[in-house]
Amino acid sequence: MRRNTDFVVGLTILLGTVIVVGTTLWVKQVDLRNTHDRVTARFRDVGSVRVGAAVVLRGVNAGRVQRIELGRDGWVEVTMALDQKVPLPAAPVVLLNESSLFGEWQATITEESAIPRDEAVSRQIAAAREAGGEMLPGATLPDIAQLTAVAGRIAGDVASVASRVEVAFDDQAARELRGSIKNFATLSAALAQTVHVQSSNLNALSADLRGGMKRLVSSAETVQRVAERIDSSTATGEVRRIVSDVATAAAQLKEASEDVRTMSRQLGRSQGRLESLLTTSDSVMMKINAGQGSVGLLVNDARLYRNSDSLVTELRGLVQDFKANPKKYVNVRVF
Amino acid sequence: MIAAIGRTFREGIEQVGRAGGFVAESAGASRDVRTWLPRVTAHARMLGVDSLPIALFIALFTGIVLALLASYSITGAVPLYFVGTLVEKTITMELAPVLTGLALAGRVGANIAAELGTMRVTEQIDALETLSYDPYAYLVVPRVLAGTMMFPIVVGLAMVVGVAAGWAASVLLLDLSSPDFVKGLRLFFTSFDVRYGLVKSASFGAAVTLIGCMTGMRAQGGAEGVGRAATRAVVYSAITILVLDAFWATVWLLGKSR
Repeated sequence: MRRNTDFVVGLTILLGTVIVVGTTLWVKQVDLRNTHDRVTARFRDVGSVRVGAAVVLRGVNAGRVQRIELGRDGWVEVTMALDQKVPLPAAPVVLLNESSLFGEWQATITEESAIPRDEAVSRQIAAAREAGGEMLPGATLPDIAQLTAVAGRIAGDVASVASRVEVAFDDQAARELRGSIKNFATLSAALAQTVHVQSSNLNALSADLRGGMKRLVSSAETVQRVAERIDSSTATGEVRRIVSDVATAAAQLKEASEDVRTMSRQLGRSQGRLESLLTTSDSVMMKINAGQGSVGLLVNDARLYRNSDSLVTELRGLVQDFKANPKKYVNVRVF
Repeated sequence: MIAAIGRTFREGIEQVGRAGGFVAESAGASRDVRTWLPRVTAHARMLGVDSLPIALFIALFTGIVLALLASYSITGAVPLYFVGTLVEKTITMELAPVLTGLALAGRVGANIAAELGTMRVTEQIDALETLSYDPYAYLVVPRVLAGTMMFPIVVGLAMVVGVAAGWAASVLLLDLSSPDFVKGLRLFFTSFDVRYGLVKSASFGAAVTLIGCMTGMRAQGGAEGVGRAATRAVVYSAITILVLDAFWATVWLLGKSR
């Protein structure tokens, strides 16, 4: 009886211990047979990643975080147990990120070219790579709390802007805005009309341009024809004749130029004479104006002019009288 | 009234002193190995092995109810695989130790108190003393050791059965796949959860057996006194289990969470 009791108690203790320990190891996924590959990555900060967190490769669970320990120079070293025969990507990096909104974190192994375009992440990866060694470079993505904090700050800014807009946008501002909109509508209509007119003009201009282009094409064809003629003329010796005629014309032009030069010289002399004549005339005219000489006296002295005029009148009367009565003045007697 | 307060305070102090004296006597008696060692397995069988059915039965239904309760509570934005997390944490750290402890407080504590109380009122303990047996080494130490040793075994198995029952209930009764439950189970599991539950249950075992022995050995007044001792043992054990539960949470969990 006593042996039976001892056996039952011993068996219970043994079974209980084995079951509890075995279950604990199974839940913890302890690798007793060492069937996993170990990979260590280096981080500045591991966020809320814990031992046992999932390691994900291309979205598939490929292992778990086995150990987290503080390293040298402020690094944190995370050892991951990966399932055997899981190939790592080329240039692998490890990102620690939240896998859900409920505080679960995971380690994601990915290619460096596939990491998010984030300056902080790139800086962390570069720093971890510069540290050297065989450890994979790692970076920690911001958690939901940080993102929420940023979103909260943005929301606060938006609220601030909204309140400022509310302050600035009173009834007066609304009226002014309404007036501005009305003005804008008017302006818009005028602009539309102008655009319409300009469009018509543009159409006309376009038509003219098209005509011009046609004429230009026609001229080009003419030029081409002339060029062809020149080309054919070159072939028949007409150009030589033309050149000869041009030489003759040039000689004639030269002679004409000589004649013109001679004429120019003669004109220069005539000009000198004319200038002398003008000087003399000017002197005479000055004397006349000064009342010198007979003509000057006649021009400048009105009394003399009137006397002369009276004398002429009287003389004209005398001549008439002489014509009418010659005998009155001429008395020829022979005897 | 002031005298009543003083008397109550004095009696409280006396109780604490007597309990301290009882524990000291038991610790002193533990040196008499030849007296208590042959009797340990018999008490271990009675306190532990024979208590397994009731403990596992409680754990079985606790696991099922807890899974259903968790699924009811966390539907909505929270993923359903958190049922596994909730079942694991609650069963391992709290419900398996405390419910099993309370159940065994009723079964074991009352049993010990009644047995020792009967021995006291029928002067069997006095006879032991007459025969130069140390009643503490003969009656108390093997029971306390058996309780301290077997409670963690019973509670450990209750943990496994409770989580397994929660798993089965989640798969069979809820729209939750087995991998999802295991994912939630493993999500925040640490070996500390199990250590915490087992250490706590060992302290419950020690407390329940000590209280049972103490109330039984102080029983007076015939069958009525034996009944009173059994009742007192169950009540004191239940209170002590809850106090110890709070004590471990304060000492261990509070320190870890900081």
